[in-house]
Amino acid sequence: MSAPEVVRVSAPTPPSSPAPSVTTPPALSLTGVTKSFGPVHALRGVSLQLGRGEVLGLIGENGAGKSTLLKVLSGVHEPDSGALEVNGKPVRLRSPEDAARAGVGIVHQEQSLLTNLSVAENIAMTSGSRAKAATRFGVYRWGHLNRVAAQVLARIGVDVDPRTTVGDLSFVDRQMVEIARALQVDTGAHASPVLILDEPTSLLERDETAVLEREIRSLREIGSVVFVSHRLDEVMRICDRVVVMRHGEVVGDRRTSEVTEDELFRLMVGRDSRATPRERRSREDGGTAVLQVEGLTRGHAFRDVSFSVPAGTTTAIVGTNGSGREEVVRAVFGAEPFSSGALRVAGKDVGSWSVASAVRAGVAYIPSERRVEGMVGGLSAAENLVLTHPGEATRGPLLRPRARRKVAETWFEDLDVRPRQPDLALERFSGGNQQKVVLAKWLSSPDLKVLVLDHPLRGLDPGASETVNAQIRAACARGTAVVLLPDTLEEALELGDEIIVMRDGEVTARFDTSRETPTALDLLEKMV
Amino acid sequence: MTGLTTVTDVLTPAPPTTGARRVRRGHGRLRSSGEVIALLVLLLVFTLLNPGTFATLTNARTVLDQAALPLVVGVGATLVILMGSIDLSVEGVMGAAGMTFVLLSANSRGGESHGALALVAALAVGLLIGLLTALIHTRLRVPTFIASLGVWYIGLGVATLLYGTEGIPNFSDPATANWASRLLLGLPHSFWLAAAVVVLGLLVGRYTRLGRSAYALGADERIARDNGVRAARTKVLVFVVAGGCSALAGVLASLQLGAGSVTLGAGTLFLTIAAVVIGGTSLGGGRGGVARTALGVLLLTVLNNGLILSGVSPNIQSAVSGAVLIGAIVAAAWPHRSRLRVVK
Repeated sequence: MSAPEVVRVSAPTPPSSPAPSVTTPPALSLTGVTKSFGPVHALRGVSLQLGRGEVLGLIGENGAGKSTLLKVLSGVHEPDSGALEVNGKPVRLRSPEDAARAGVGIVHQEQSLLTNLSVAENIAMTSGSRAKAATRFGVYRWGHLNRVAAQVLARIGVDVDPRTTVGDLSFVDRQMVEIARALQVDTGAHASPVLILDEPTSLLERDETAVLEREIRSLREIGSVVFVSHRLDEVMRICDRVVVMRHGEVVGDRRTSEVTEDELFRLMVGRDSRATPRERRSREDGGTAVLQVEGLTRGHAFRDVSFSVPAGTTTAIVGTNGSGREEVVRAVFGAEPFSSGALRVAGKDVGSWSVASAVRAGVAYIPSERRVEGMVGGLSAAENLVLTHPGEATRGPLLRPRARRKVAETWFEDLDVRPRQPDLALERFSGGNQQKVVLAKWLSSPDLKVLVLDHPLRGLDPGASETVNAQIRAACARGTAVVLLPDTLEEALELGDEIIVMRDGEVTARFDTSRETPTALDLLEKMV
Repeated sequence: MTGLTTVTDVLTPAPPTTGARRVRRGHGRLRSSGEVIALLVLLLVFTLLNPGTFATLTNARTVLDQAALPLVVGVGATLVILMGSIDLSVEGVMGAAGMTFVLLSANSRGGESHGALALVAALAVGLLIGLLTALIHTRLRVPTFIASLGVWYIGLGVATLLYGTEGIPNFSDPATANWASRLLLGLPHSFWLAAAVVVLGLLVGRYTRLGRSAYALGADERIARDNGVRAARTKVLVFVVAGGCSALAGVLASLQLGAGSVTLGAGTLFLTIAAVVIGGTSLGGGRGGVARTALGVLLLTVLNNGLILSGVSPNIQSAVSGAVLIGAIVAAAWPHRSRLRVVK
């Protein structure tokens, strides 16, 4: 009987697949992996396979479970259930060291190199066995160190002198050093290491990205890659196959040769997103622009950014990591400098612009890093509330604690801040309640003209989001101009009267939602 | 410029000379040549101002003898500051260790000489005090600034207890009493001792895991930990080494003085930290090195010496030193001032 034989031969080797066969098990295999944090199900039964010599893209919106999955793969989190196999062998990864031993290396989104040390030292520092070889009786063997590093770098074809101080390297070279370092995971024991790249291009300029892409594609020769990115075009160019995650589940698994960016996007967000109909305020009715930004520029961060926000309207700025939108709004608030361009608040040209003058002009800013920038954690909630606009809580230089408490109690009631204890240190409130207090701090301004919101809903539960959203709308209704950096495109489509799309520091599109109804896809097209 | 590069090559670990792709020249190199130039200018100016008194062998010996103390302390201080920590306990350790050394050597209060044991005991005192600072910092999570500030006074207290109520203990053996200023190859013993410590410090900073871990911790403690640097262990060892340096400085100071004194370290802390900073080691940690500190010490010592020879009143000496320190820090931080959002 010859027919079954034919099946047996052809089945394990699908035509377009580069490597997998019966004899070589997948480099990485996950089956039904789940992970919960309290009531939050971050991963709900994720199964996926990574073939040898394959570059696998992993995409999904914020909160889709990508980062949790990466943490499971790199040994930071242990899954609640499910199985992990590396090169066909079941493994338990309890620490990053375990992962390195199993042959899984990760390059994190944020840089993890020590910039004041040489490339060779950084490479030697991570893995135990090599680090031991780097010293003899506690004395560094620089020659040996440099030779080993040169080998590791040569393996992935990076042309960097191992003696160079990391701080002197370009970002793309630093990324390559990180990759080289992650790949040195016990290469002896693992002929085919697995490399996880978490948004390696987010900090890079465009031409640098091209260099990195080429290098990543060439990594196929020595191992397998999981590539996480927000830029769909990049994923399409670099990866052989893409896995899409949504709500902690794998919702799509496509070969890049057989899928379009549009389809990936639909899988990612779950639908062709359309703006939810709501009463739009025509931007013409809004009358005079409260905030006018003209040709704002600072080096490579952002170039020639212009927009104006009429009273009572919201301008949402969308863009990927590194699009420059954060920098723009921080410049609008005076927290970062700009080199040229003009800012007008309520028609008045601002001269020398700083946070202090922005606050005096009636601009409020709610930062995304509220723990760092938005609040003074050690002070009580009430003290935080009156920090910027003391109002009745002071008389001249003197504080009036009782008046302050009254002001705070009113706001606590309005915004439903819990627990109702204004004298408690703000850092002891939950994230959502902290955000409410920070918002109240700015809303209490007697003449709030411009409200700049940098990811106001980040990390908030639905209830808190609702309250914060309602307050933003109320402020808008009172005639405040709102500049919003939303977390999701849906948020932009729902709240923005105008939506501005930025990419690589430049405005690539603008939509007036009172006249047109763009889809999330329209926005995304201009973002990547 | 060639003369300068040879000095700076020692300063920066493994500077890329050839073949490095897309490598910008770091600022570190330029800044350290700035200090070399400053030193040369000072030497030239004082030579011209004081013909026949400044540029003499005798004065060179004086300068090198004066530089010895801050050099010895500076090696330990540099390692501590490279980690981003600070050790203020220097003068307390010097007092306690110096007093231990005098009392265990043949001295005017009687008692017999314990020879090398006196040195070992004095160093042990320093190592223990360094260990104390480090443990207060790592175990009790007290910032090194405060931990070492407290330990400074503990050291002074120990020295005072040892001193007791009798008269000043002078070295009774003349060979000990003039050891520091006796010459070897034309230069004073004190200088050779300091030079040896500096060379050891250079080697530690460049070639040992301890030194490199100190650099790593100073750059970013979180990343360093993630990279497998054992933070607590490194801190403890570095503070112990710094304690040892201060103790050796205490011994040297008592030898220079020829007697024991609780306060023989007075002024050393300021001079050393000033030298570390002027040399170009960042107080934030991670950048700089022992060679830079040696340069800073020489700068300050030459400056003091030259001002005295030039007839500047000793009364305004300390004011001038303070102004020089602030000037140097401002100059060093000038390129970064716009990036420093908050200065504490």
